[in-house]
Amino acid sequence: MFKELNPLLHSELRLGIMSILLSVEEADFVFIREKTGATAGNISVQIEKLSEAGYIEVQKGFAGKRTRTVCNITKKGVDAFEEYVEALKSYLDINR
Amino acid sequence: MEEKNLNEKESLELISQMIRNSRHKLEDGNGMPFLVWGYTTFFISLLVYYFIHKTGDYHYHWLWFLIPVIGSIGMYITKKDGAKHACNYVDRIIGNIWTVIGIAAFLISLSAFCVRLPILSFMILLMGMGTALTGLVIKFKPVIITGFIGMACSVVPFVINGNEQIIVFGVIYLIMMVIPGHILNYQSRRRHV
Repeated sequence: MFKELNPLLHSELRLGIMSILLSVEEADFVFIREKTGATAGNISVQIEKLSEAGYIEVQKGFAGKRTRTVCNITKKGVDAFEEYVEALKSYLDINR
Repeated sequence: MEEKNLNEKESLELISQMIRNSRHKLEDGNGMPFLVWGYTTFFISLLVYYFIHKTGDYHYHWLWFLIPVIGSIGMYITKKDGAKHACNYVDRIIGNIWTVIGIAAFLISLSAFCVRLPILSFMILLMGMGTALTGLVIKFKPVIITGFIGMACSVVPFVINGNEQIIVFGVIYLIMMVIPGHILNYQSRRRHV
């Protein structure tokens, strides 16, 4: 039986952002942009969507004179990610 | 990377690639704090030794307090240049280890004003512990080994008499902190080739 893939995570950029945030405690916008290679505008939109879903927390602050946006994954985000990976496994016939 | 849907296999590959890349990125720059504190301590040791040896005036021991000043400035500069854009559990643990070690070193330095202490031995032992713990946390053998060598060397000032203790102290810092610092940076550079 195939499990449904969470549409919010089943997108390249959003899944990339979530994977990065899963492996670190927190990452700023620059780090995410560097790792994903996506445009700043596109990342902003996806971060907003993940934040609205409660999967990540976003804190805006300052580093010197520049603004710094720091993101970290929430418990809800980790749970959603785990469910997503479990669903992926069902499609790929892993653990069956 | 764009906002496009992936197939299941691509999704799994993307997850593992992102996690792997993020981990490597965080390992970069771990050598700099070792180099900053190691070289600072080494050169201040030479400076203290030179003035005490030349003048015989023990007030030059006050120069030791240049270590936290210069070290902190060095850390500020290196952090500013290579600002860390992400932080993981290992970073936090290492940061906390060195905060505790730093506070302990500062308190022992203050105590040395009131009680006669083998301060050089204590400092070598403390920094050796910090180095060994860092090595164990990041699972990097050269740092573990030099840390334990440093801890073992904490007995050396007891067997050396006179001001030569100061020179030996500086050299131990070279072995304990500067060598692993360069090895860490070398490994980091090699990852980017």
